[in-house]
Amino acid sequence: MKLLTKYNRINIGLTVIIMLVTGLIYYYTISHILTGQIDKDLVLEENEVFSYVSKNHRLPDVYESNHQQIIFTPLKEEKIKRRFLDTTYHDSDEKDLEAGRALISSVVVAGRNYRVLVTQSKVETEDLIQIIFLITIGVIVALLAILLILNRVILKSIWKPFYKILLQLKDFSLANHASIYSTPSNIDEFAELDQAVISMADRVKSDYQNLKVFTENASHELMTPISIINSKLDTLVQTDEFTDRQSKLLNDIYGTVSRLTRLNKSMLLLAKIENGLIHDQSDVNLKAVLEEALYQHEELVEQLNIRLTINMHDKTVQANKSLMEIMCNNLLSNAIRHNHQNGELSVYLSQDKLIINNTGKGSFDFKQVIKRFHKSDGSEGIGLGLTLCKQICDNYGFTLSYQPDGKLHTFLVIFNNPNSLQY
Amino acid sequence: MKILIVEDETGLRDSIEAYFTGSDSICETATNFTTALAKVSVYRYDCVILDLTLPHGNGLDIVKHLKEHSHNDGVLIISAKNSLDDRLTGLDLGADDYLTKPFHLSELKSRVTAIVRRRSFNGSSQLKFNEISIDLDAKVVRVNEAVVKFTRKEYSLLIYFIANKGKVVSKSAIAEHLWGDSIDIADNFDFIYSHIKNIRKKLVEAGAKDYIHAAYGMGYKFTDA
Repeated sequence: MKLLTKYNRINIGLTVIIMLVTGLIYYYTISHILTGQIDKDLVLEENEVFSYVSKNHRLPDVYESNHQQIIFTPLKEEKIKRRFLDTTYHDSDEKDLEAGRALISSVVVAGRNYRVLVTQSKVETEDLIQIIFLITIGVIVALLAILLILNRVILKSIWKPFYKILLQLKDFSLANHASIYSTPSNIDEFAELDQAVISMADRVKSDYQNLKVFTENASHELMTPISIINSKLDTLVQTDEFTDRQSKLLNDIYGTVSRLTRLNKSMLLLAKIENGLIHDQSDVNLKAVLEEALYQHEELVEQLNIRLTINMHDKTVQANKSLMEIMCNNLLSNAIRHNHQNGELSVYLSQDKLIINNTGKGSFDFKQVIKRFHKSDGSEGIGLGLTLCKQICDNYGFTLSYQPDGKLHTFLVIFNNPNSLQY
Repeated sequence: MKILIVEDETGLRDSIEAYFTGSDSICETATNFTTALAKVSVYRYDCVILDLTLPHGNGLDIVKHLKEHSHNDGVLIISAKNSLDDRLTGLDLGADDYLTKPFHLSELKSRVTAIVRRRSFNGSSQLKFNEISIDLDAKVVRVNEAVVKFTRKEYSLLIYFIANKGKVVSKSAIAEHLWGDSIDIADNFDFIYSHIKNIRKKLVEAGAKDYIHAAYGMGYKFTDA
């Protein structure tokens, strides 16, 4: 719910309730005062009757005037209690019933008891109350309308800095270099928010920058000694003849160095993808990439005598070519490495998905496997292969999933969102 | 060929120099930006092996300098940075190739040889080694004028060996050359063996000498000695 809506809802709800209560109190007060006024008139009339009776010792002539009627009714033995009551007033001219107020009293004339009924029409009072009521309603409606418009205008203009800051926060990305601009405001809270957001963004950016620099430096610093070891080994093998034992040791060192290199490169790549540092995109023909990957793995496929089924259609994705190569190579290499002699491997590529299906030992927990440095027993890899695949897929809005089916393992990449932007 | 090695790491520079110096190459070295710039301003090289992170400056500025003065020296960038930005900038500025550290010296030699060959033969792309001649454009290998058919990997390996003739090329280097360092193929040394076996067989059957020798279980050496 928008702030304005929420604010309006509460504000207008409360206003309406308060107005209604005030209206009711107003109504009852006015109606009470007016009734009191009528009652005074009635008492006045009664007093006139009494004074007339005490002076003339007879009932006054009854005539009608000023929306007032007096009726005398002879009484027998009963006593009359003096009281006011709401009644109807029968207007002889207009011949209709109106709301009225009456006073019942009694008077003794020449030893005879009479009931005196003084009635007065309340029609004017009612009219008055009606007008007051209408004015009140009118004021309420007008007030509500003004409140609505005012809220809208004021909130819109007052909260403008807030929405500006919010918009900038939404667009904020570490990868692009745009920074957050100051949104000046004379409202303390917004000015403070603005300052906080800017300083936070700057801090995050500088931290991120430091991390990036650190990553780059770490890579450089690590790669340099590795490359020296590598070059020294290359030089060493030129020097002399080696015994079997020495060459075995040298081969082991070579293997370890190349593993160290792969590990370092994978970690850097992972960090880069996670930080969204790889922007270089082009149309990549996935079919060609897969064909190349299959070619690179042909020796392994032959060695294990794997039956290869390939069904690939042309598919172009907007991505970084190296990343696509790494993804395809990793997926294929997994499917082959965890395969067995005379196993099967099928690669299916269509417009919307890539399916790599292979026979293999047992099943595994995909969630565990995509964690860093997870290795299955006897795996020769460095434990980052599938993590990288997952990261690459996430980066391009692809979905990587795994479905075990007995001895059959299926890796599925769905390119469901070709327009998905990398961050 | 005349080569300038611009690298601040002594260990690496010495190894490269030792590997390149020999039968057909003259090597000069520069340990920092200033020296390197001074050298490329005065002398011409067939190829400059250039590290990017140098004391007193960025290696990319040397590439810029060469291009600004229309010097036609080949440039191979070697850098630990494999960020795509650097790679693109380097290649955009006119570097011929880019090799990410760490690398095998044999890979470096093969790349440098390719650059020098491309520049010096001016389009004619025939590579000759005794009775073996290779048309680099058509990727056709002839032994005594008869065409010998090689697979892509065998062909690539043969070129690699010729570029590194007289040197022991380690199995690790061969594996990285053929499969790239991102592909971790278990037992790839066995595959190397079978590829080498095929190359030798094809060459010998076509009437060439057997130039490829196993070097004490470490690797192979292509030599006519």
